[in-house]
Amino acid sequence: MAGLVAALALTVAPVALSAADLAGDLVFWSSFTQGPRAEYMQRMADRFMAAHPDVKITIETFSWSEFNTKWTTGLVAGQVPDISTALPNQVVEMISVDALVPVDDVIDAIGRDRFHDAALNEGRRDGVSYSLPAYSHAQVMWYRKDLLAAKGIAVPTTWAELRDAAIALNDPPAVYGLSVPLGTNDMMATRYLNFYVQSAGGALVDATGHADLTSPAAIEGINFWVDLYKQISPEGSINYNVLDQATLFYQGKTAFDFNSGFHISGVAANTPDLLDDIEAAFLPRLKAGDAPYGGETSNIAMVAWAAGDNQEAAKAFLASLYADADYIDFIHSVPGGMLPALGDISANPAYQDNERLKQFASSVAVIEQAIPMGTAIGMENGPRVQAGIITSQGVIEQMFQDIILNGTAVEAAAAAAEEKLDGLFLAAGATFSD
Amino acid sequence: MSTDLKDRSRIWFVLPAMLVVLALLIYPVLSSIYFSFTSRHLLRAAYDLVGLRNFVFVLSSADFWDAFANSIKWTVGSVAGQLAVGLLAALALEKVPRFSGLYRILLIIPWAFPAIVIAFAWRWIFNDVYGFLPNLLTALGISEGNISFLANPAFVFATVVGINIWFGAPLFIINILAALKTVPRDQYEAALIDGASVGQRFRYITVPHIKRVVGLLLILRTIWVFNNFELLFLITGGGPAGLTTTLPIFAYRTGWGLRQLGAASAITVLLLAFLLAGAALAFRMINRWERSVAR
Amino acid sequence: MNGARAFLRAFALPYAFLSVLAVIAAFPLFWIVVSSLKSAPELASDPLAFWPRTPTLEHYRHVLFDLGAIVNLGNSLIISTSTTVLTILVSAPAAYGIVRFYPRVGQRLTQILISTYMVPPILLAVPYAIIMITLGLSNTYVGLVLAYLSFSIPYAVWMLTAFYQTVPVEIEEAAYVDGAGRLRTFISVASPIVLPGIVATAIYTFINAFNEFLFALLFINSSSKMPIAVALYSLGGSEVLDWGAMMAASVVVVVPSIVFFLFIQKYIAAGLAEGSVK
Repeated sequence: MAGLVAALALTVAPVALSAADLAGDLVFWSSFTQGPRAEYMQRMADRFMAAHPDVKITIETFSWSEFNTKWTTGLVAGQVPDISTALPNQVVEMISVDALVPVDDVIDAIGRDRFHDAALNEGRRDGVSYSLPAYSHAQVMWYRKDLLAAKGIAVPTTWAELRDAAIALNDPPAVYGLSVPLGTNDMMATRYLNFYVQSAGGALVDATGHADLTSPAAIEGINFWVDLYKQISPEGSINYNVLDQATLFYQGKTAFDFNSGFHISGVAANTPDLLDDIEAAFLPRLKAGDAPYGGETSNIAMVAWAAGDNQEAAKAFLASLYADADYIDFIHSVPGGMLPALGDISANPAYQDNERLKQFASSVAVIEQAIPMGTAIGMENGPRVQAGIITSQGVIEQMFQDIILNGTAVEAAAAAAEEKLDGLFLAAGATFSD
Repeated sequence: MSTDLKDRSRIWFVLPAMLVVLALLIYPVLSSIYFSFTSRHLLRAAYDLVGLRNFVFVLSSADFWDAFANSIKWTVGSVAGQLAVGLLAALALEKVPRFSGLYRILLIIPWAFPAIVIAFAWRWIFNDVYGFLPNLLTALGISEGNISFLANPAFVFATVVGINIWFGAPLFIINILAALKTVPRDQYEAALIDGASVGQRFRYITVPHIKRVVGLLLILRTIWVFNNFELLFLITGGGPAGLTTTLPIFAYRTGWGLRQLGAASAITVLLLAFLLAGAALAFRMINRWERSVAR
Repeated sequence: MNGARAFLRAFALPYAFLSVLAVIAAFPLFWIVVSSLKSAPELASDPLAFWPRTPTLEHYRHVLFDLGAIVNLGNSLIISTSTTVLTILVSAPAAYGIVRFYPRVGQRLTQILISTYMVPPILLAVPYAIIMITLGLSNTYVGLVLAYLSFSIPYAVWMLTAFYQTVPVEIEEAAYVDGAGRLRTFISVASPIVLPGIVATAIYTFINAFNEFLFALLFINSSSKMPIAVALYSLGGSEVLDWGAMMAASVVVVVPSIVFFLFIQKYIAAGLAEGSVK
């Protein structure tokens, strides 16, 4: 049934996009919870409603964790929005239960070749696209220039250098060299381990679809983070989620951190005095002289739901968000944090004309270069349900906690976690190609 | 008014409450029990009847038994602590001649905290970087370096139980206080004249008047704490290393995290069965006890 | 000397105990208030500072006006008050009826009722979500209040039976002799005696409804109807962990309840109504 609806939508949509007499109520679940991003979306909705008086758009904002609970429960009960934002993993899962409508017509209307192909690929199944990239960001290494300079330490380029530098700068409780976040309510340990494995050219989900935590690089990576946790991380970081972790850096409590350009606005909001002292560099390499690599790229997407009654209006609204001037406004709402999903916008003078972006030009350039090199964790070989499982079940986080708190041997803990993940992959409907 | 009419009128006192509760619960409970025998996936429409497979899967999982043990520890520790603090505080409040109103207000403050605020406030106070308590202990030289109360496995369970006692004691205080008010003054005075000791007065006058309320509170709080999801979910999320994962959190993770609604239903059905069995036992004890007291 | 010892035993110990408890009970409130008045940099810089160097109301402005917490607070009050009123209206007669008219089956009746209180909320979540959509009640106050009644009524009935049981039957018989009917006896004779119990039960119901999180998270989809408990959760899940805002929002949530306590606290300790007791 959903397939049929999807097929119909695909055939009629190109016409509908240009139709003038759109009508209906649209509910938009947005994860742009506050500040300029939320205001921007409301402004766009108001303008769209003014242009199409028969369309009514209601925006409801939810944080990502709320959204996760809401869309799943909503799908069971049959109440989902018409449009929503979505993370790549969620998109994969939504596609797998036929919850979305194809948006190829919207993509084509905006200009397919303007999007990064890697981003489009994350929302594609059997050649059909189900998600529109809204913006992208990539993980990089953030550091405190002032602290490094005070000790005369150069910006680390390898993991070994990072370790030495972080230990040298560690001076708790004034400042921690680095915090290693391992909380099971988030995916931070998975993210950190993935950096290390990526630096060795590997992946946490291998080409056959199995979890791979026992490769030499993975074992080395686990040891690296466990060691750093024990040596310099705040003890409480074993429970940290992304916000706990980021807040330390915002408040000048950590010398190094890993995050995207969202760190710029985080520091600006918490400790503006620190803005001149922070900068981003490529993630540490395995060996000196290795080329930079993409550790993790996130392409935040927008989707239209199959259960919606007014899909033409939904798609028309989505398309309206990508007009150059408006889209630049949107991207400017978190300068450096949200990078354009449309490749040509990066070079657009109107986009570049922003104080914060100029101030952080070098850091943003690093992130821009990192974006096309990386994917979401577990999507190195295309969108797969494994990517959702590995980042949402806390298995790798539990593995780290088990090693640290219970003293379980690294190899044994890694093998057990790998087996558990494979079991969860199967339960979620994944297939292995071996 | 004829006695006939009176007899029919009395049912109207009781019926509405019974009907509302039954109407609200029958369908959801039955459908959950049904789900527990199916392979229901949270997001997929199609599912099969799988017999006892979910129960076998759940009961043979070590995680379930860990969560079960945590639930027991969490419930017993919290409720016992709440009773102890609540009883002592209520008795003390009865005793003091002045300021008891002020103390009463101060003591029930925790009750004004929704779970999310409990989580915010205590996570902030216990935060091992900028939290008040860890920094205070370090400053006083009691601890060497900030203790991480919510991450260190040696502290975390005691800490969350402590938070729950802090939150739940006011209920005991207020209800025991209300029950104490039903003790007729003249009984105390008569006992004093008879030369009864403090312990005797407590045992023979106070206890009989409050035991029913205390008994009910114990059962109600045991159920509430056992079933409670949000406190631990919001404070620790069940971590670190699953140390504070209780059955409701385990069920949530299975249903919403793993999307295995069938297995999650099996967990909650087991939870319910356990509570019902425990309650049946408690009721039998209460009934026997009341009969023996009544004699 | 002897008198001093007796005084110590009688009063000093209770006062000391109560004072320690009061500090523990009230400290989190004090601390969230203090923290909510500190600027973001100050929050991070001196964890032990008992008073903000430059007190700011910025977090409150942000929470109340930028984030619209006032609306959420109003929603919570509407939902909790409705739940409380309905619960007491339905439960007090039931409790009284069980005690007076069905003393023998009453025990069984309350035990059946309380068994329903044992149903874990998380077990109800999915079926409720489905029912609410079917009945068109999802995303409405009515739906949420109904869901709350499922656990507030069993509790209230059970608790109230305990209180009505303390009412001496002789007092009521006197009322019957005076010609009062059942309803009037219940309303004007029995209930005033157990008023402290009713108030305690009402507070409990109100607080539980005000604090409820899971159902509100699942069943309310629009921020304009969202109760404050869930709105706060969003705050903790946004891009920046804004402790100042979280503390200010916490104060905004907690203070109305405490004011409410101040108003009703004299009923809590009112004791048996004078004159009703022989």
